[in-house]
Amino acid sequence: MSTRLARALTTIFVLAVVLLPIFWLVSTSLKSNREITQEGTLYPHVPTLDNYVRLFTEKQFGSYLTNSLVVTFFSVAIALVAGAMGAYAIARFRLPLAMEGKVGLFLLTLRIIPPVVILIPVYLLMLSLGLLDSWLGLIATYTAFNVTFCVWMMESFFREIPVDLEEAAMVDGDSRFGAFRRITLPLAAPGLAATAIFAVLVTFNEFLFALALTATPRAMTMPRGTATLIGRIDTDWASMSAAGVIGALPIVFFALLVQRHLVRGLTMGAVK
Amino acid sequence: MHGAAQARKYRLQGAGLDLALPYLMLAPGLTIVLGVLVYPLWDGLRASTKAYRYGSPVGDIGLQNYVRLWSDVQFLNSLWVTVKFVALSVSFEAVLGFALALFCLREFQGIRLLRTVLIIPMVVTPVVVAIVFRLIYASDAGMLTALSQAMGGGAVQILGNPVNAFVGLVVLDVWEWTPLMFLILLAGLQSLPHEPFEAARVDGAGAWRVFADLTFPMMRPVLAVAIVLRTIDAFGTFDQVFVLTRGGPGEATRLISIYGYDTAFKFQQTGYAAALFVTIGLVVLALAFSAIRLLRRVDAS
Repeated sequence: MSTRLARALTTIFVLAVVLLPIFWLVSTSLKSNREITQEGTLYPHVPTLDNYVRLFTEKQFGSYLTNSLVVTFFSVAIALVAGAMGAYAIARFRLPLAMEGKVGLFLLTLRIIPPVVILIPVYLLMLSLGLLDSWLGLIATYTAFNVTFCVWMMESFFREIPVDLEEAAMVDGDSRFGAFRRITLPLAAPGLAATAIFAVLVTFNEFLFALALTATPRAMTMPRGTATLIGRIDTDWASMSAAGVIGALPIVFFALLVQRHLVRGLTMGAVK
Repeated sequence: MHGAAQARKYRLQGAGLDLALPYLMLAPGLTIVLGVLVYPLWDGLRASTKAYRYGSPVGDIGLQNYVRLWSDVQFLNSLWVTVKFVALSVSFEAVLGFALALFCLREFQGIRLLRTVLIIPMVVTPVVVAIVFRLIYASDAGMLTALSQAMGGGAVQILGNPVNAFVGLVVLDVWEWTPLMFLILLAGLQSLPHEPFEAARVDGAGAWRVFADLTFPMMRPVLAVAIVLRTIDAFGTFDQVFVLTRGGPGEATRLISIYGYDTAFKFQQTGYAAALFVTIGLVVLALAFSAIRLLRRVDAS
C-alpha cells in the first residue's frame, strides 16, 4: 500500500514539474499586461485573446509562420529525396576507395561538431551569394543539416531490407533505379516517415542560423520572430507568452501524435 | 539457355545508365553537404588565420588568433562557465533520469501518461523553453514572484543575480533534457537479461545489493553513451541562453557559444571568432572520439 502511495505521489510530482511551467505560459498569454505586472494573479481573472490577435495584426506573426512552414517543408522534402538516394547508394553499392564504409564516420564527425562552429563561414557564404534574409538561404542551410541526418538514419533502414526482392524485380524487367523506386522505397516507408518527423521537428525549432541569416519579416521564422519581442527595456510579457504558445503548440501536438517514432531520432539511433 | 543466364547476370550488374547509378544517386546529397557544410568548415579554418577589420579580411596573421585566445580573460571565463554548466546539468540529468527510469521500470497505472508528458520538454522550441523560464524567473511577472506574493513574501530575484541566474540556467537545461536521459536509460533497463535478477531474488538479495551488483554494472555502457550524447549537445547550447539571459548578468551565464557569437556579430572580429569556433570544434571532437574509443575498449573486454 505504501509503495503504491509513493508511486502515485512521485508520478504527480513529476507531472507537476513538467506541466506547471507550461500552464504558466498559457495562463500568462490569456492575461492583459496590467494583470500580469501589477496584479500578479495566479490564473487569468479576466481571460482575453487580445495578445494573440495583436501578434497577427501588429507584429507580423503571419509572415513568421508562413516562412517557417515554407522553409521547413522544402528543406525536409529535398533532404528526404537526396538523403534516401544517397543512403541507398551507400547501403547497396561498392564505391571507389571503399567510401561506403567511411560515410558513417564522416557523418558522425559532422554531427558531433556543434553547429555554431560553422555559423560564421555559412553567414559569409550566404552573404557572398546574396542569400541573406531569404527563404533560399535558410532552405539551403537546413537541407544540408537534414541530409546528413537522413543518410545516417535511412542507411540502416535500407540495410534491413533483403536484396533478393530487388533482384527478383530486376529479373522481371525493372531497371536498377526502378527496383529501388518500386520495391525498396515503399518497404522503407516507415523509416522514411520517422526520419521526416524528426527532421521537421528540428528544422521548425532551429534558431541560431535563423538569427544570423535573417533580419526582416521577409524571411524570419517563428523562433526568430519570437526572439524579436525580447530585449527591450520594457518586456511585453503578454505578447511574448502568446508567441510562445503559438510557437510551441503545433510542434508539441505534432510530436505527441507521432511519439512512437520520435525516440529513435532524438537519440540519433542510440535507442531503437 | 546459356544466353538467358548470361542476360540475367548482365541485368543484375546493371548496364548503361545503371553503371553510373550509384554516383547519380549520391550526387545531390553530396553536393549539398560539400557546399553548405564541408566548404564552410574549410572556409572557417581559412578565416581563422586572418585579421579582420569591420567584417572584411585585411591580412594573413598565421596562428596569432589561436595564440591570442589563451590570454583572453573573457574567453577563458566563458570556457569555464561552459564546463561548469555542462558538468552540472549533465550530472543532474543522469542521476534524475536514471532514478526516474528505475521508477518506471515496473508497469503501473499512469505510466503511459507520464511517458507521454515527458516528451513535451524536449520537443518544445528551445526559444520557447527559454521564454517559459523567463516567465517563471521574472521579478515582476514571474511565477516565483507571484507564488511568493501569494504567500505574503516579496519579489524573487533570479536573473539579476549572477549565482541565481547561472543556477536558473542549469535548472532550465535539467527540465528540458532529463526526459531524454530517462528515455535512453529506460530502453537500456528494459533490454537487460532477466536471469541474473531472478537468481538474485532466489538468493534473497536486497534491493540495494541488486542495484549495486547487477543493475548499475550492466547499465554502465548505456549510461556512458547517454552522458556522451548529452555532453556533446550541451557544449553547443545557445538558443536558451540567448533568450534567457543573453549571457548576463555580467558574464555569469556567458557560454562559449554566446561569446563566439558576440565576437563575430557584435564586435565584428570575424577571424578571431572563427579561431575560437575551430578550437571549440576540435575540443568537442577530441572529447567525443576519446569517449567512443574508451567505450569500445570497455565493450571488447
